[in-house]
Amino acid sequence: MASPIPKLLDELLRDGQVRRAPALSPPARRPLPSGVGALDAALGGGWMRGQLHELVGPPGAGGTALLRAALAAATRAGELCALIDPADAFDPAPADIDLERLLWVRPKDAVTALRAAEIALEARFALVAIDLGDVGCSARWAPPVAGKAGSSGALPAPRLPKGVVQVVRFEVSRKAPRGASPWARLQRRSEKHGGALLLLAREPQAGTFAAAVVELERGRVVWEGRQGAPGRFLRGTMPVGAVTRHKRMPPSAPLLLRLPLR
Amino acid sequence: MRVACLHICDLSLVAALRAEPQLCATPLAVVQAGPELGGRARVLGCTPAADGVEPGQTLAEARAVCPGIQVRQASDERERAAAQAAREAALCVSPRIEQVAPGLVYVDASGLEKLFGDERAVAGELVKAAERVGLRAAVGLASSKSVARLAARAAAVDLTLEATRWGVGGGAFQVVTLERQREFLAGVPLHELSLPEELHESLRRFGLHTLGEVAALPPGPLAARLGPEAALLSRMARGEDASALAPRADGERFEEGEELEWDASSIEPLLFVWNGLLGRLAQRLAARGLMAGELSLQLRLADGSWDERALDLAGPTREAPALLQLLRLSVESRPPPAGVRAVRLSAVPVREVLEQMPLFGPRGASATQLSAAVARLSALVGPERVGRPVAPDRWAPFAAGSAKFAAPPPSLPPLAGSSELALSARALRPPRTVEVRCDASGAPLLVIGEGALGGRVVASAGPWRTVAEWWSEKPIALDAYDLELVGGLLVRAARELGTDEWRVEAIYD
Repeated sequence: MASPIPKLLDELLRDGQVRRAPALSPPARRPLPSGVGALDAALGGGWMRGQLHELVGPPGAGGTALLRAALAAATRAGELCALIDPADAFDPAPADIDLERLLWVRPKDAVTALRAAEIALEARFALVAIDLGDVGCSARWAPPVAGKAGSSGALPAPRLPKGVVQVVRFEVSRKAPRGASPWARLQRRSEKHGGALLLLAREPQAGTFAAAVVELERGRVVWEGRQGAPGRFLRGTMPVGAVTRHKRMPPSAPLLLRLPLR
Repeated sequence: MRVACLHICDLSLVAALRAEPQLCATPLAVVQAGPELGGRARVLGCTPAADGVEPGQTLAEARAVCPGIQVRQASDERERAAAQAAREAALCVSPRIEQVAPGLVYVDASGLEKLFGDERAVAGELVKAAERVGLRAAVGLASSKSVARLAARAAAVDLTLEATRWGVGGGAFQVVTLERQREFLAGVPLHELSLPEELHESLRRFGLHTLGEVAALPPGPLAARLGPEAALLSRMARGEDASALAPRADGERFEEGEELEWDASSIEPLLFVWNGLLGRLAQRLAARGLMAGELSLQLRLADGSWDERALDLAGPTREAPALLQLLRLSVESRPPPAGVRAVRLSAVPVREVLEQMPLFGPRGASATQLSAAVARLSALVGPERVGRPVAPDRWAPFAAGSAKFAAPPPSLPPLAGSSELALSARALRPPRTVEVRCDASGAPLLVIGEGALGGRVVASAGPWRTVAEWWSEKPIALDAYDLELVGGLLVRAARELGTDEWRVEAIYD
C-alpha cells in the first residue's frame, strides 16, 4: 500500500499551509572589518570581498591609519594580506599588524604596483592594499605597451653575471595589461578571486570601478602642553571621513576619526 | 613464504610509451640512443602495430619492413624514472621489496591476502599499482624468488598494450600455488631461461629441453658433469630456492627525467617537457599518498655540465601547474648558459598534508600557489623588494627590513586582541633633506623643502634627542621634532647633531 504522506504533503502545499524552502543560495561573502566600527556600519559590514574600494584624502587626513587598521583587523582575523607599497613608506615598528600574515611588495613605480596587485589578487590574498599615497598616479594612467622595454607589465629581462655571454635565447613572455582602464582589470581580478582590494590615493583613481569611496579631510591637531615649553607633545589628530559613494549603501554622515599618536 | 615478482618487460618501450601513451596503437620502435648510429641503430622494442619488426633488427631493416614506423630513441632518464616507478608500485602493495635490476622487483607477499583477498587479488593489485604509475607489468607469485620470476616470465605471454590516462597498461599475472608448482616448472622450456651458452648447449646435447626433464635427473651426477651452474639449475627445477628476500631501505627520491633529441634553447620546449614530467611525478606521489617536500631541477647542458637548482616550496605539494610556474620563473630568472639536452626533476617525498577547506568562506591560496605568487612578484620587482616586513632590532627611526614570506601554518594562531585606530607614520626612505629656519631658542619656524614638504611651522614639539649606534660605522645622533606646517601637514623632522643638517623622516597620516 502506498504511503499517504506524499499525497498529504501535496494537499498542504496546495493549500499554502506548507511552503517549499527556496533553493539554498551560496552564502554571502563575509566582509573584512575595517577596524573602525562606525566605518564598518557605513560600509555595510566592512570592506567587501571581491570589490575595489578607495581611500582618498590629503596627507595627514588619516588614510594610512585606516589602511593599517584594515590590515591589522584582517591579519588578526587570520587572513593573509598583501601590501603593495611603491613609496616604500610602511613602518613595521607598531605592533598592530600581524606581520607573519602580511606580504610586503615594494614596486618601483605605480604601473608595476598595479601589476603586482593583480598577481596578489590571483594568489587569493584576502586583502590587497595598494598605497599610492606618495606616488604620482593619475586617472589618466595608460597601460604599458606590450613588449616595450622597461614597461613594468612585463617580466624583467633576465640578468646575467658580468663576463657571461648568453649563448641561448630564453624568451621571456611579455604580457602587458590591456584594456581601457587598469582599474576595470583589477576589479575583475578582485571579483574573480574573491579578495578585497583597498586603494589609498590622494585623488580619486578608480572612478566607477570602485564599489565604495571613503573621502577624508584633515582635522584638528591635538597638542599637549604650551608652545615652546618643555614637555609639549603631539597627541594626535581628529580628521573627518565619510563614505561618499557606495554601490549598495547611501552616502554616510561625516565620521569623526580620533587618531591618537602611540 | 610467498614472493611476487614484478617485471616491466620491454622497459625501453614501456618507458617511451609512458611519456607518449597515444603511440600505443601506432607502429613504434625504440632504438638505441645516439643519432650517430643512423640506420645501424638496433631496435630495442616495438609496439604490436609494427608488423614484422623485431628487437635486434637494425633501424634500416625495421623501416624496410614497416615503412610508416615511428622511431624514438631510448632514454636513460626515462628508463631510470620508469624503474623507480616500478619500485614505488611494489611499495604500494608491500613494504618489503627488493629491486634486483631496473624494472625487476621482488615483493614479500606473505600475509597480503588479509589486505587484498586471495593470491590472485594480490597479484592483480600489483598489476594495478604498476598501471597507476603508468607502467605495464608482468607479475608472478610463487613460493620462491626464482619460481616467481619464472611465473612472471610466463605471464608476459598474456601482456597487451593499452593506453591509460596515466601511461601504458595491459599487464598480466600468473599465480603458482604450492600444489601446482611441480607441474608448472616441468613445462618451462630451457631456452627461455637465461643460461650460459655452454651449459645450454650441453643440456641440448643431453636431450634435455624442459625444467621437468632436468628435475628428473639426480642432482649430484648432473653437477659433477656440468658444474655448479647445473646444480643451481637442478635446484631451480625442483623448486628449491633458499635465497631470501633482501629488502633495502634506499633513500627515497622521486625522479622523473627526459632526454631531448635536440638542444633546447628556449623556454617553450622545456615547459612542454616539464609539464609531462610533473604530471607523472604528481601521479607517482599520489599513488603513495605523498607530496613533494623539496623539488630540484637538474639540466644537462650541451657542454656536458649539469645546472642544478632547488625550488623554494612554501610547503608540501603536488600541484603540477604551480610547480610548473615555479620552474619557469626559476629558469627565466637565471637562464642556463648553454642549450639543454636532458632534464631531471627530483622530489623529496613527505607525508601528504591535507588542506581543510572552509565551509562557508572562499578558498584561500595553497602554500604552493603563494610561493608561486611570491616568485612571480620577485621576478617583477626584484627579490629584495618582496617579503615579510620586519622591524630591525636597531635604534634607527623608521627602519624596516624584509624577510622571506611563508604562509604561517594553520595551527599558528593570529595575534590576540584587537588593534586601535592610531595616527600612523609614513616613512620617507631615504629621508628628505630640508632647510629649516629656527628662532633664537632653536625652535623651528620655517621649513623650506620640495613640494608639500615646506611652509611655516604652526606648532611644534621637541626636541627629543637620540644618540645610538655609536659603536657602528653609522652612528645616530639627532634631535627630533614633530612639526605642524601651515595647511595641516604633520611631519617628523630631525636635526643631525654632527652636521646640523635637517631632514624630514616621516609624514603623519
